[in-house]
Amino acid sequence: MLKGFQKADRKEVLSLINRTVDETPELQSLVVHFNPKDILFKEGDTLSYLYLLLDGTVSLSHKKEDLSSFEVLKLQPGHFIGIVAFNTGNNSLTTATSIEKIKTLRFGQDDFEKYLNQHPSLRSPLQQLMMSNMTERFKVNLELESRLHTLNHTLEEEGDELKEAYQQLEDSHQKLVHQEKMATLGELVAGFAHEVNNPASSLLRSSESLIANFLEHSDKNPLGQMFQLGLESAPLSSTEIRARMIQVQKRFPWVSERSLIRKLAQISDKGYEIIESVRKKIPVKSLVQQHEAGKFIHNIQLSSERIANLVKSLKSYSRQDQNEAEEVDIRNGINDTILVLSNRLKFLNLELDLKEIPKTQVKLGELNQVWTNIIVNACDVLPNGGALKIATKTEGEHAIIIEISDNGPGIPEQLIDRIFEPNFTTKNQGAKFGLGLGLAISNEIIRQHGGFIRVSNKKDGGAKFEILLPVKNS
Amino acid sequence: MKVNKKQLAGLIIGIIGLIIPFFLNIEGLSYAGHVALGIFLLAAAFWMLEPVPIYATSVLVILLQILLLSKEGFIFTSVTESYIPDAYTAFIGTLANPIIILFLGGFVLADAAVKYNLDKNLTRILLRPFGSQPKFIVLGLMVVTGLLSAFMSNTATTAMMMTVIIPIIVQLDKADPLKIGLALSIPFAANIGGIATPIGTPPNAVVIGALSQQGINIPFGEWMALAVPLVVIALLFAWFLLIRMFKPDTDSISIDMSGKFNTSKNAIILYVAFGLTVLFWVTESFHGVKSAIIALVPVVFLTLTGVVTKEDIRKLPWEVLWLVAGGISLGISMKSTGLAEWIVGSIEWSAFGAITLLVVFSAVAVLMSNFLSNTVTATLLIPLAVSLATSGVAGEGFNLIIVSLVIGVSASMAMMLPISTPPNAIAMSTGTIETKDMAKAGISIGVFGIVLVVLYAIFYWPLMLN
Amino acid sequence: MDHQIYILVIEDELEVMDALIKDLEEFEQTFPIESANNTDEANLVVNQIYESGNEIGLILCDHVLPGENGVDFLISLESRKEFHKTRKVLVTGQAGLEDTVKAINNANLNHYIPKPWTKEGFQKVVVNQLTDFIIDKKYNPLKFMATLDAVRLAEAMRNNTLTDN
Repeated sequence: MLKGFQKADRKEVLSLINRTVDETPELQSLVVHFNPKDILFKEGDTLSYLYLLLDGTVSLSHKKEDLSSFEVLKLQPGHFIGIVAFNTGNNSLTTATSIEKIKTLRFGQDDFEKYLNQHPSLRSPLQQLMMSNMTERFKVNLELESRLHTLNHTLEEEGDELKEAYQQLEDSHQKLVHQEKMATLGELVAGFAHEVNNPASSLLRSSESLIANFLEHSDKNPLGQMFQLGLESAPLSSTEIRARMIQVQKRFPWVSERSLIRKLAQISDKGYEIIESVRKKIPVKSLVQQHEAGKFIHNIQLSSERIANLVKSLKSYSRQDQNEAEEVDIRNGINDTILVLSNRLKFLNLELDLKEIPKTQVKLGELNQVWTNIIVNACDVLPNGGALKIATKTEGEHAIIIEISDNGPGIPEQLIDRIFEPNFTTKNQGAKFGLGLGLAISNEIIRQHGGFIRVSNKKDGGAKFEILLPVKNS
Repeated sequence: MKVNKKQLAGLIIGIIGLIIPFFLNIEGLSYAGHVALGIFLLAAAFWMLEPVPIYATSVLVILLQILLLSKEGFIFTSVTESYIPDAYTAFIGTLANPIIILFLGGFVLADAAVKYNLDKNLTRILLRPFGSQPKFIVLGLMVVTGLLSAFMSNTATTAMMMTVIIPIIVQLDKADPLKIGLALSIPFAANIGGIATPIGTPPNAVVIGALSQQGINIPFGEWMALAVPLVVIALLFAWFLLIRMFKPDTDSISIDMSGKFNTSKNAIILYVAFGLTVLFWVTESFHGVKSAIIALVPVVFLTLTGVVTKEDIRKLPWEVLWLVAGGISLGISMKSTGLAEWIVGSIEWSAFGAITLLVVFSAVAVLMSNFLSNTVTATLLIPLAVSLATSGVAGEGFNLIIVSLVIGVSASMAMMLPISTPPNAIAMSTGTIETKDMAKAGISIGVFGIVLVVLYAIFYWPLMLN
Repeated sequence: MDHQIYILVIEDELEVMDALIKDLEEFEQTFPIESANNTDEANLVVNQIYESGNEIGLILCDHVLPGENGVDFLISLESRKEFHKTRKVLVTGQAGLEDTVKAINNANLNHYIPKPWTKEGFQKVVVNQLTDFIIDKKYNPLKFMATLDAVRLAEAMRNNTLTDN
């Protein structure tokens, strides 16, 4: 029945009502006119009148939490104004404002039933009107709900997109920071290496000249021979020294000074023969002193060589001069990395199985970052004496596999899929100066080289990283 | 405890020495004298070879005398014809002998002085007039050291002065002989300075204790009147010797004289107590109050005011008091059993002149105390000298007081070896001197000391004592 | 032989050990030196020293060592009463703040010498630490005055109520 009540019907009903009002003087008194922007009632009022809009437009508005108001509904002629509040007796949820000059029928609290009863001709149209009003409001509500739903969905989708965009931004930011860091580090290293190289080579050269000077005229006499022996002596462990000190006390019972005994303990048997053969002519202390001098110069040589080697690998390790990929042997990079990290690797059992692999076009400096990341992570979890294995091999003709595995605790299964995610860490952040800046960057570097990286836990415990790189030749 | 050969020998000789007289029958010596001889031999062996610490020997001596020689002991429960046993209180009483109390007073004052840095601050002030010329600095150091060690222990004074001179030694050139001179000046001055007052060093206490057994009281001031002129000459000689032997290379040295007197209430109480006590000690002859009684006043006063605490009292060197008491105690029975008389009688003393005897005693004391503790030397020699003097066999001029002084003073003149006195050991351990330096200078001072002591014994002391 | 006070040096790099012992040479007359390349060896040496009735006055210990690290070793010693007065010094270039704080709090670390060290500074630390040890243990300072800080030892003597005898 209600379905048939369309807009056309409403017009008819309205004109019927208009006519009836015009014809019935009694009803004339119900007609009220409002000027534009007049307020019929306010939000929160209890309504004592119900209006039927006969002409003009009325806006229903509602206040938001921030006290600004928005329009809820526009009412056209034929609409009741305040129908909900009037019928339920609750406070009005909206404020009704006239938009233009309007004409309404105003019913008091008890008038409505009275007029309906007095004018049977009005009963049916008004009831129809009221029903259609209610239906329309419900329809609006349904529409609103469905719009809200769509809106929420769109919002969610947009949020996801935003998140993704942010993540990408964050990633590239991190990468930039990392690159910046590496660039700065590279510059530092290059400058530092240059500065250290000079004194290191000076040390090396000077000690060689010193040795030559020392030996020039004395290589045949006992003092010179002792010096030579000192030069050739390898440093002894303290256990060896202790054991030899006991032998010295037996062999040279006439020596009682403990520091002299210790020095004698570091001299070879050949030196003892020299000492025994000439000790009547040359005091033992002088002979031992010569040996000690040789030993210290030898120490200088060893140490300066070590500095020079460290500097060399540090330089090639950082490779900041390299922007383009070059055709290189990746194993050189691995060896440099190991040298640079020797401080961390000192107390691990390092097993190297670097099989012949073809040269390939890579950015060695970036790859070194990857090795560093993985090795440093392993060092962090391995106890002293833990085992670390690095192996290279070819996979068919066009791929190289680098395998880095340890015998540490392995990676918890629930984390194994996440370790290449940016910002993933199980360590306290900021605790270490970052040579290794996250596996995410390693992953990215390998990806840019056209390879991939894979991690797994070995059956017998420990983590295994496998990196596959394609062989590219120019 | 590790025992070396010397100590083992001391232990065996001491025990044999104690037992043997029981099995001998020495003519002219009473049975009690035999017992006393045993104790004396044990004490001598133990004190000289030190199988046990010397203070332990001292209390052992007191106990042995009580057990074997007192009326309450095992052997002499009643008076016999040859021996009237002493009450055990006579031996125990030595632990509270007036000289012990006098020393106690000195200890408390010295301990408090160290606690409030009075010694160090006094040193800084007293050194100021001596300028910066090395030889006068050395003189200044010696004067101050001598002065302090007259009232404090020689060893504590030396340790304190080392903190003053080591910074000087460090800034000197390695080869500068002044280093040696400086390092030797302190122990020498401390040894000599100790002679100046009754509380300066334990041998003085042995002398005063032994004389008090003979009924002779030497007031504090009188001792100083007898000793100070000798100390001054000896100090000047030592100074002269050192700057001649180790001529300084530098013209001027600087000493850090900065430092402030502690002005806390307690410190001021101490300064007043120190000053007044010394004043009353020195003036004993005028007011007649015995120095041992005066010595109790600062002890009481400083403990009442809390300047000296329970911890400070525990830190006092009680073993030195035992050492002196043991010596006094030994003297009692040596005399009462007739042992001393017998020893004196067994040698033909009259063959020597009085002066020869003084020279011999002085020389023996210097020689012995170079190798033994000064106190032990005095303890072992004085009973002998006392008997000799009281028996009159040594003739005129061998006055009881004078011979005791000769031994007491000579015992402090030993400074030849690092082991001669603790101050010498401290100076030696700084590593700036060699034994031969110390021996060279120490022998000269020893010889000069003997001459000086004998000269005073002949000319000055008799004058004063009459 | 008399009771000996040892200096124990723990350092794994042999060249560095050589240099450390060279700088300690002047002390060896008074304080015999023992060395160890790792803490296992150090424990062995420590036990030998104490079994023969001697003791350790000063431990100079590197931090980064094979096996147990220096700080943990010092902490393990701290639980033994006989080492409470032993002076403990870290000689290292590599102990981070965290480890150092741990050593100070749990091992009573007395000093920290960063590498590279200078002979003068190094010897000064050794002198100071051993002087503290001698004073703390109330040993007769005379034997040590020539090697260590004579002024402080004399000062300690002064406060210890010395006597003539």
